[in-house]
Amino acid sequence: MKIGRFFALFLLIGALSACEDELLDLEPVDQLTDEIAISDARGVEAALTGAYQALQSSSYYGGSFLFFNDLSADNAIHTGTYHSHAEAARNQLRPENSAVASIWNAIYEGINRANHLILRVPDISDLSASEKSRILAEARFLRALHYHNLVRLWGDVPMRTAPIASPEEASTIERVPMEEVYTQILSDLEAARSSLAGGGDTRRATLGAAHALAARVHLYREEWAQAETAAEAVEELGYDLAADYATLFPATGGDTPEDIFRVLFTVVQWNQLGWYYIASSFGGRGEIAPQQSLMDAYAEGDVRRDWTIHGNVEGAAHGTKFPTTAGAEHPHVIRFAEVILTKAEALAQQDRLDEAVTAYNRIRTRAGLAPHVLNQDVTSQQDVLEAIWHERRVELALEGDRFSDLRRTGRAVDVLDIPAFQALFPIPRAEMDVAPNMTQNPGY
Amino acid sequence: MAGLKKRLLFIGILSMFLMGTSSEAQAQNPQSAAPEINRFVSPGAGADAMIGSASRDSDQATPTPRNFLASRRPQQAGLIQGQVTEEGTGRPLTGIQVRVMDTNLGSLTNDQGRYRITGVPAGDLSLRAEGLGYRTVTREVTLQSGQTLEVDFELPISAIQMDEVVAVAYGQRTRREIGSSISTVGAGSISETPLARLDGAIQGKASGVQITQNAGDPGAGMSIRIRGSSSVSASNQPLWVIDGVPMFDEDFSQLGMGGQDLSGITGISPDDIESISILKDAAATAMYGSRGSNGVVMVRTKRGQVGAPRFTVNTSLGVQDVPNRLDLLNSTEYLQYFNESATNDGYREDYYGTPGVDDAINTDWQDALFRNAPIRTLELSVSGGQDRVTYRLSGSYFDQSGVVMGSGYDRFNARANVDVNASDRLSLQASLGFSWETTDRLEGDWSLTGVVPMTVAAQPIFPVRLDDGSFQGLGSGFPPDGLNYPNGVAMATYNWAETLTRRAIGNVEARFQVAQPLNLTARAGFDILAVRDNQWEDPRVDGIYAKAAEGIAKTGFSTGDRFVLDGYLTYEPDIGSQDLTITAGGTAEFTDRELSFVRGEGFSNLYFNRARNAANLIVADATERSNNLVGIFSRVDYSLRDRYFFTGNFRADGSSRFGPNNRWGYFPGASFVWLVSEEDFFPNSNTVEDLRLRVNYGITGNQAIGDYPYQGLFGTANYGSDPGLAPSNLGNADLKWERTKEFNLGVDASFLEGRLGLEADYYLKKTDDLLLSRPLTGTSGFTSVFANVGGIENRGFEFRVNSVNIRPRTSSGLRWTSDFNISFNKNEVVSLFNDEPFNAGRRNVNRVEVGEPLGAFHMIRFLGVDPETGNALLSEDREIVGSPHPDFTGGLTNSFQWKGFDLTTFLQFSYGAEIFNAMRLFADAGGWYLDNQFKHVMDRWQEPGDQTNVPRASFNGDSGARELSSRFIEDGSYLRIQEVRLGYELPQRLATAMGASSVRLYVAGQNLHTFTDYMGYSPDVNSDGSSANIGLGTDFYAYPIPRAITFGVRGSW
Repeated sequence: MKIGRFFALFLLIGALSACEDELLDLEPVDQLTDEIAISDARGVEAALTGAYQALQSSSYYGGSFLFFNDLSADNAIHTGTYHSHAEAARNQLRPENSAVASIWNAIYEGINRANHLILRVPDISDLSASEKSRILAEARFLRALHYHNLVRLWGDVPMRTAPIASPEEASTIERVPMEEVYTQILSDLEAARSSLAGGGDTRRATLGAAHALAARVHLYREEWAQAETAAEAVEELGYDLAADYATLFPATGGDTPEDIFRVLFTVVQWNQLGWYYIASSFGGRGEIAPQQSLMDAYAEGDVRRDWTIHGNVEGAAHGTKFPTTAGAEHPHVIRFAEVILTKAEALAQQDRLDEAVTAYNRIRTRAGLAPHVLNQDVTSQQDVLEAIWHERRVELALEGDRFSDLRRTGRAVDVLDIPAFQALFPIPRAEMDVAPNMTQNPGY
Repeated sequence: MAGLKKRLLFIGILSMFLMGTSSEAQAQNPQSAAPEINRFVSPGAGADAMIGSASRDSDQATPTPRNFLASRRPQQAGLIQGQVTEEGTGRPLTGIQVRVMDTNLGSLTNDQGRYRITGVPAGDLSLRAEGLGYRTVTREVTLQSGQTLEVDFELPISAIQMDEVVAVAYGQRTRREIGSSISTVGAGSISETPLARLDGAIQGKASGVQITQNAGDPGAGMSIRIRGSSSVSASNQPLWVIDGVPMFDEDFSQLGMGGQDLSGITGISPDDIESISILKDAAATAMYGSRGSNGVVMVRTKRGQVGAPRFTVNTSLGVQDVPNRLDLLNSTEYLQYFNESATNDGYREDYYGTPGVDDAINTDWQDALFRNAPIRTLELSVSGGQDRVTYRLSGSYFDQSGVVMGSGYDRFNARANVDVNASDRLSLQASLGFSWETTDRLEGDWSLTGVVPMTVAAQPIFPVRLDDGSFQGLGSGFPPDGLNYPNGVAMATYNWAETLTRRAIGNVEARFQVAQPLNLTARAGFDILAVRDNQWEDPRVDGIYAKAAEGIAKTGFSTGDRFVLDGYLTYEPDIGSQDLTITAGGTAEFTDRELSFVRGEGFSNLYFNRARNAANLIVADATERSNNLVGIFSRVDYSLRDRYFFTGNFRADGSSRFGPNNRWGYFPGASFVWLVSEEDFFPNSNTVEDLRLRVNYGITGNQAIGDYPYQGLFGTANYGSDPGLAPSNLGNADLKWERTKEFNLGVDASFLEGRLGLEADYYLKKTDDLLLSRPLTGTSGFTSVFANVGGIENRGFEFRVNSVNIRPRTSSGLRWTSDFNISFNKNEVVSLFNDEPFNAGRRNVNRVEVGEPLGAFHMIRFLGVDPETGNALLSEDREIVGSPHPDFTGGLTNSFQWKGFDLTTFLQFSYGAEIFNAMRLFADAGGWYLDNQFKHVMDRWQEPGDQTNVPRASFNGDSGARELSSRFIEDGSYLRIQEVRLGYELPQRLATAMGASSVRLYVAGQNLHTFTDYMGYSPDVNSDGSSANIGLGTDFYAYPIPRAITFGVRGSW
């Protein structure tokens, strides 16, 4: 019987050692390893979808990226409890600001997702050449958008065009001159514009979106003629202003001919926009509210005012562009009204004032305002520019454009009454801590 | 995977079964085993026998067939009986173990101090009596065949127990032989304390163990640090082993309640605990290898003893309250302060309201939220046994209402511990515990909508309820005409969250004597948890998201299954004056977690609160994760002439959490004990009696990180209804074990006839290859990655002194004993990735920097208040301004006994830790927020020339009062009267008249008073919860720790 006992023991020990590999090689059931995640057409499509999903981050188009562009400008005030948001509202951002770091991280996360696609797609065997070029074009469009958002807020930024292979690679990063980043942005946009098709789902990259973003980028670079050309390329694709401003901001999705590129949200893939803008007495968090100066900026009879602001007492007013706290609105990344204003500005800068006024009058008319008449309502080039900038403010209010726009046009210091250095955001403290070659924006 | 596990479990159980049947077969073989059968069938034989001996090859004090000579000669047996009394007083001693040495025979004394051992083999025998609090006495006797021998013992009172049996990994040893530093906490100090959690039982009771009650929520977790924090990103909590089963210690609830986790160290009634051993140094914990670096807490549950059934009942009833309130402004002071903030910055002097009008209401919000809450316990047990089977069955109910409205905890427990001597060579034991716990929870500390934060913050000028009975809601405009935040009392009233934890923990163990010196132990253990969460957030509460969403309901199910298979051999050859034990075996552990969760929003009726009735399902989630661990271990214990003890051990562990490159870790340990007082040259005096030197060294590991950290992974990232993928983890193929090397030097001594005992230890604990979730530049697409970088060092001294201050002269005379412990630990980060410091914790105030303690406070330094402007003077840059680690911690227990009375007092203290009182970010912010303020703002600067350290009130926030600075760092030193307990043992006559053998009445107070300068509720606080490693020492509106007074009765018959 001793044999039986020892047999039992050996059985036990043998079973344990024999199964070692099977026991210790565990993979998660709800995640995929790097090797198999992007290895076929299905994986590539999923990773592309994931690249769009990066835009949904509550630190990106789902929240703070948009908020901070209005808070730091003269469009919104802080009415809530977050230090980070209070700092933005007072233009006292510090490198420690957690929301600024989150915006930075969210954008780079988007870049990393695009980079994974750009790296892997060429080697995928079950994709046709045309599918590959379409997917690469979408990824490069997204990367261009991300990098432009970075330079809008921070100026010179670090640039990654491929995913890191090991953790060690990460910390050697340093900032490169904005010019170099723009070269990359324009090259990505060029690729996107040559491979994307017109029409299609406005919650994904399209040819129109690529042209529109190119128009915006050229505007920032003061390349007026190219901005004009890109804007016209958008127009030629058949976009038009929505007849009714209100239809641009329904509680859930909804399409208008004005849509160029929007970020899709659902009640599950929730954005914070309504929750933060709606006053607590209306069931929101009331973290942010429109500023008196914005309310005053709307002329009498401007229909946009009521679609942007509810109420008129400072502190009690709240934003209504994102009408519910359900968070299922699809915020606009870029819409046709902006393209028209871009074109108008490009024309004005080229001293083609008549054409410029005609262009932005489309925006005014839609808002229920009388069209401007050149040499009557506006005379000089400066007048026209001021009028365009004003339209830009009230048209795109609370949509995350204002702060970057003030810096672009060199007005941030005067309009906001801030020191020049505050026209750029600080590089997050955590970045300075972990990347020794990172440099801080002057003044911070 | 599941199939493989089942197969292994099956094999394990089959192995035990085979061992059992083969031994049964042997027992039934008349040629080979007749005497053994005779021994067990002989009438009366062993009726009081087979009491657990202090065997060294098991975690349990259970019968081990050690010497079969005794049982092989039943015809020559005699009987030994007698009484054990206390020396000097003659008081009969209960529960003293009397053993016949070198046999497995023994008995426990009864209420009259009597014992009786039958079937004792004739011859020259060594008889030993031992028990807690007394010095062990051995007597040599000669027993004739058939004789009944009367042997009485008088045991001297002693402060130290060299012969105490201590649980160690895969075995047990007497204290004398152990070269490691092990603290023990006995049943006596636990059983009458109303405790929701096991970890509360050892706070302040053991040297080297620092425990922080994160907050006072019933059932909330605690932060336990044995000899300091040794990890940055992996867990710093010790491994808990219940009857040999490593238990889950994590929070299985899926409700993010803002800060406070639920303790996993629950599910066991304090009354079921026999003893708790805390293995502190690496030489001892290396046997648990990969999980030993934070120490191991081994809990043994009570087991039955041979004898007639003995019933005990313990019931207590008490009341709790909040011992101290925050000192906040009343409405007049509030209005005055805020108006002053406006005036100071050039606004109207009645900006916030008219004094005498707008401060007419004066609400004490804390009064509205806190309540006196009952606490009760009922514990029943029966134990006994005959011949081959002993048992202890128990059931208990514990019910604690929370001192904050809406919170509470209750627990039902059942436990069955059964020991079976299946044959002379095979013993089996089963230890099975079941529990059912319900925790009523509140949104907590770190939550914007926490009940306590909202209540503390509420402006006192508004009422809790309006005249029509509805709750005061949020205001609008500025200054608002209502509350600035949601009404905390409304939240506590309407919102609820309940976590139900069902748990089964236990094991089945078989021990078999393969041959005379060789024993085999096989064990199958399990810890199975099923946790169900339900939460409802009510739309009636103004200002929370649930209002906009028209109600939020969440339901989560979470299960944890852990199976452990152990098998080991113990070889104890008889080699004369030397003593050798070799233990070797293997273990495999399988851990699985499954989760599902739904969150629904939008309800048509307030009657509904389950996701099925929701308009929108916002979250519907289900997943699973698992990890496995395989280990082989061995230990050699060798002693020479009862004065030199050597132990060497080794363990190798393979973990699924690491990649093939570094999957296995190796953990050696060695210790040496020199019993100096046994040496011939040692003077035989009564001044110094025992003197023991210990030295040891060991290497342990830590793998308490997520389950798949080494793999580069992609997770789900859906966009609309399109399924998507995105990188979710940056892989690190070389990830490996975090490693701790520890050296320990100790001395134990007893003086003055054993009336004074001293234990002292010095240790140096170096952890390297830290499993660090190191911050990564966000430009990589990730913000952190797990890597082995950096090192932490802990070093310190621990002392324990216990003494018999007054030794009674008569059995009812006054006796007074003390037990004091104090521990000093110094924690220092010695290296990091590129030695780059980084910050973590809430508001990023906790620094990880070389040369500083882990999580040192790093913020702008507050330099005082400018007497001219009233503004805070602040340093330019952030610097280290304090440490959350105490310089020393400890406890002092005093016990008095006089006639039938006993009195125990327990003081607990901590010195030198700083606390970041993050409440002051809002409640001492100079009027920047509308929160009610700490009363110390009454000392604020008001006019030029004022000398104060409280900045002026400032509407614009320009005074610097709201800046996060060292102004909010406070001294967290404290001395707490943690427990006072007075008991009375009814006279025997009275008890007998009541039909009981003993009846005891007691009254006890917990957390009676804390002496501290700290401004918050309690300096014993950690708002980041027990999983926080870096973000220590922060108080953000933590739930107050209740004070409790309980009355109880304990009886047995």
